[in-house]
Amino acid sequence: MTATDRVTVKTSAPAERPSLFAGLGERLSGANPARKVLGLILPIALVAIWQLAGTNGSLFGGALPTPDRVWSAWVLWAFGTPTLGLNPYIGTWYDNVVFSTIRVAKGFALAIALGVPIGIMIGWSRLMAAFVDPTIQWLRPVPITAWLPISIAIFGIRDFGSVFLITLGAFYPIVINATQGARDVERNWIRAAQMMGASKTDILLRVVFPAALPSIFTGLRVGLGIGWTAVIVSEMVAVKSGLGYVLWDAYYVGRMDIVIADMVSIGLLGFISDRLIVFVESWLLGWRRMQSFNN
Amino acid sequence: MGTISFDHVGKTYGGKNGVLALDGIDLKIGEGEFVALLGPSGCGKSTLLNLLAGFEDVSEGIMLFDGAPVTRPGPERGVVFQEAALLPWLSVWENVVFGPRVQGKPKSEYEERARDILRIVGLENFRDALPVQLSGGMRQRVGIARVLVMSPRVLLMDEPFGALDAQTRLSMQQLLLDVWETLKTTVLFVTHDIDEAILLADRICVMSARPGRIAKHIDIDLRRPRSIDDLTGSEFTRFKAAIMSEMRASLAHAH
Repeated sequence: MTATDRVTVKTSAPAERPSLFAGLGERLSGANPARKVLGLILPIALVAIWQLAGTNGSLFGGALPTPDRVWSAWVLWAFGTPTLGLNPYIGTWYDNVVFSTIRVAKGFALAIALGVPIGIMIGWSRLMAAFVDPTIQWLRPVPITAWLPISIAIFGIRDFGSVFLITLGAFYPIVINATQGARDVERNWIRAAQMMGASKTDILLRVVFPAALPSIFTGLRVGLGIGWTAVIVSEMVAVKSGLGYVLWDAYYVGRMDIVIADMVSIGLLGFISDRLIVFVESWLLGWRRMQSFNN
Repeated sequence: MGTISFDHVGKTYGGKNGVLALDGIDLKIGEGEFVALLGPSGCGKSTLLNLLAGFEDVSEGIMLFDGAPVTRPGPERGVVFQEAALLPWLSVWENVVFGPRVQGKPKSEYEERARDILRIVGLENFRDALPVQLSGGMRQRVGIARVLVMSPRVLLMDEPFGALDAQTRLSMQQLLLDVWETLKTTVLFVTHDIDEAILLADRICVMSARPGRIAKHIDIDLRRPRSIDDLTGSEFTRFKAAIMSEMRASLAHAH
């Protein structure tokens, strides 16, 4: 018979009752508002103690300004109108946030473009694993901070030196998790695809890659965290703009209020970018979330 | 089309001094024949099926499918796995048309057939569901549907109903009987359930373990079309009694 033949079969097999979505709704609404409030108590208390412990707007003899000082410094830094004066902390916050964010975005994108395909190839092919994996494992113990001098020597005090360090730092967790994900693909998924006539490319793109995605996302989240670390470190040394540069510069001129406002800004950016990845992950991996609910 | 021939086939794992999983397998299966491989776990019945599927290589002897040696998996030998092995990120429909799609067939060639088959297995209302939203029996229906859509010349079924509850298993057996009655494809069906083997097969190959050998061929002349009602018929019971005594004899001999 050919593929276009119509098939009709009379069956007396009784239909089963499906367990579709059973209990899924209740489980999804599990986010308890009371518990969210609980999580706010500690940070609010810490900020309050920090504020109340200060005298004349600071602690430790001026080393740590109180939250109200930090706040007003940040407001001026973010919303003030830049003047011709020498104070670089008026109205320049946004520009520095953009500088750092773009560097992280570039470095992170490069790390994904390299790490995901290389990781999948290592996990998929023993030949690739034997060829590439030892090099990665030998290079990995060198901390990215140790790459700073050579990065400056090669790329100079320029943007790419910073992007290079971010890429390098984010690359390792991405490549390692992609490798693991590709290695852990269920054998019968690959066999089923082969049986259905899938080519090697089809199996890589349609089976191994989607099967490795949950693991890849773990790598992305760790990698992005390292990316933010790398951008701050590199901007302190290798470029003259961005939140990392401001952090060190403000410390040099004794502006601890800006230092803290800068730290909080970095934390916020890291948090928001991580949420973005989690959002994309939950959008792409709906099947996985349902699986963990049902099992 | 769909003929199978094993001639002194052996399978050894782990090199020269490895474990002998299959030894001296001689088996001929004709076009449209339904053969059950029956045996205890670890007797190599799944290994035999994996050889024919092309998942593993034959260590010795000659294995032919439609006159040609098997070198790799392919859509003319459709495999139904024990746990369905559906791709969990694809919907029911995407799983069913995965084969024709990766083979680059035009939609006009497979869509109608895929719809028909989904209807036959009773899943036309679950096209867009994900495998995780289905029960075990429904998942296995998808596993069967995605194979049927490729019009394979043989169905290789590896304990496909082994993980299902008794009631679901009955309804799946009935479904398979009805489908086979229409398509008359060659089927090689691995099971450890005697009732299932008698109900479905034209011939049962009883296997013994360590090394895996075919201890006995038993023809099941139960009239067709069959249904799960036959399970309680006197004819069936007679077959079962005869087979159990033969199995006892051959297994005792093998040990």
